[in-house]
Amino acid sequence: MRTTFQDELNLLETTLQEEGALVLRALRGALNALEQRDHELADEVIAFDDDVDDRYIRIEEGIQSLLARQTPVASDLRLVLAILHINLHLERMADYCVTVAKLSKLVPDVEPSPRFVEGFEEMGSRCEEMIRIALDSFSDRDLERAESLVELDELIDRANRRVVERILELGSSEAMREYGLRMVIVSRALERIGDHAVDIGEQVAYLLTAEFREFTDASHKTAHEL
Amino acid sequence: MMNDNVTIPVDVAPVEIAQERGAPETAQREVVFDVRDLGVHYGSTTAISGVNLEIYRNLITAMIGPSGCGKSTFIRCLNRMNDLVPSARVTGNLMYRGQDIYGEGVDPVAVRRQIGMVFQRPNPFPKSIYDNVAWGPRVLGLKKRLDERVEKALRGAALWEEVKDRLKRSALSLSGGQQQRLCIARAIAIEPDVLLLDEPASALDPIATAAIEELMHDLKRDYTIVIVTHNMQQAARVADMTAFFSLEVDESHRSGVLVEYDNTDRLFTNPSDKRTEDYVTGRFG
Repeated sequence: MRTTFQDELNLLETTLQEEGALVLRALRGALNALEQRDHELADEVIAFDDDVDDRYIRIEEGIQSLLARQTPVASDLRLVLAILHINLHLERMADYCVTVAKLSKLVPDVEPSPRFVEGFEEMGSRCEEMIRIALDSFSDRDLERAESLVELDELIDRANRRVVERILELGSSEAMREYGLRMVIVSRALERIGDHAVDIGEQVAYLLTAEFREFTDASHKTAHEL
Repeated sequence: MMNDNVTIPVDVAPVEIAQERGAPETAQREVVFDVRDLGVHYGSTTAISGVNLEIYRNLITAMIGPSGCGKSTFIRCLNRMNDLVPSARVTGNLMYRGQDIYGEGVDPVAVRRQIGMVFQRPNPFPKSIYDNVAWGPRVLGLKKRLDERVEKALRGAALWEEVKDRLKRSALSLSGGQQQRLCIARAIAIEPDVLLLDEPASALDPIATAAIEELMHDLKRDYTIVIVTHNMQQAARVADMTAFFSLEVDESHRSGVLVEYDNTDRLFTNPSDKRTEDYVTGRFG
């Protein structure tokens, strides 16, 4: 039994889950900063990204060392490769949280309709749910849950489209137009977080089935899209 | 997805095309050995039992597994080396290109003429480099153009450049890695069909090991190679196909069994048997 190797693998997985928890915290912070126009909280989220990057780098270095010294094969190899990819997806998610936090500081002093703001809360909550499912499906090695991310992502995509439609209804004042432009990017950032959660699900599927497979992409529609 | 419109050049054999792409598809493989329900017994002890597999032309097939699992016993069946052990008894079928190797009237020496073997420790004769390589052809009466044959074998074993100026010197003056390549040259001097390598690099340093591995890659163009190795990474590096043997123990006896046989890529990324997974990931025992 390669105890040291197993310990190192376990540590990588624990650090990855920590990184996931930090991303969830950053996302909640960014959404609150946006909703409450809390610049101080936005700054915290921006600064907090260093903590995520710290985990990201630790995992990268850990994998580099593990590949160089331990030559993992079979399910160990798939686990290491899955962690490598998931690590990158989580780091990207955290970057999108920073984007949302930064944009929340740039919002002009306008009062959009509550319905419009609620759209972001809905998207944000769905993102949180997807990140949790992605992380849990990985730790539980649960293929079914991983695959369920596709349908949740579709809901975020729809919400994104609704936000874009509502932006056109915001009004034509310069402040509203600027607000609208910023919010398109916020909406896009949240939509991308959903996509990365699906990508994590794909890594879970790879870990469990040894097959590289995109759950869905533009050229290969899922059954319910046809 | 494969494009249906891909055309295969007519002057290239399917096997060659397949090799260029890595391990070939089953349909394109030419079977050299067809092993059915093979068992080897030493007296009342069973060394291996129930082994079924096919070995394919111009591929490197590796046998891996823990000590005592019977992988060396298996490879020694392929050219009847087990005949040299008085108590050894072989059961089942071992077909070499459609012919039963253990069939009545089959001459083991003729079998070994086609299926050469290189052992763990380099074992050159205490003679000159030239005589080591020329020995096999001389015994077989292949005396025409002997110099040419020796040079070809030494080139084939990637040793010619290192020894061409000292062919009359003792083979024992060579380094371990050179001696092992000399043994490979000796084996290929009689132009066999198959090369069996039993732990060919286990007594060599990493540089000599790399040279042997590189050589194997070159040799598979002309030969079918079967290698036994303790070094899993060596199997992963050089082999197209890998067979994992393990030791099955029950109350009354223990014997080596073939657990899994597959493309090397698959065996090291997604083995289908838990015992293979446990062995290759180091969780064995």
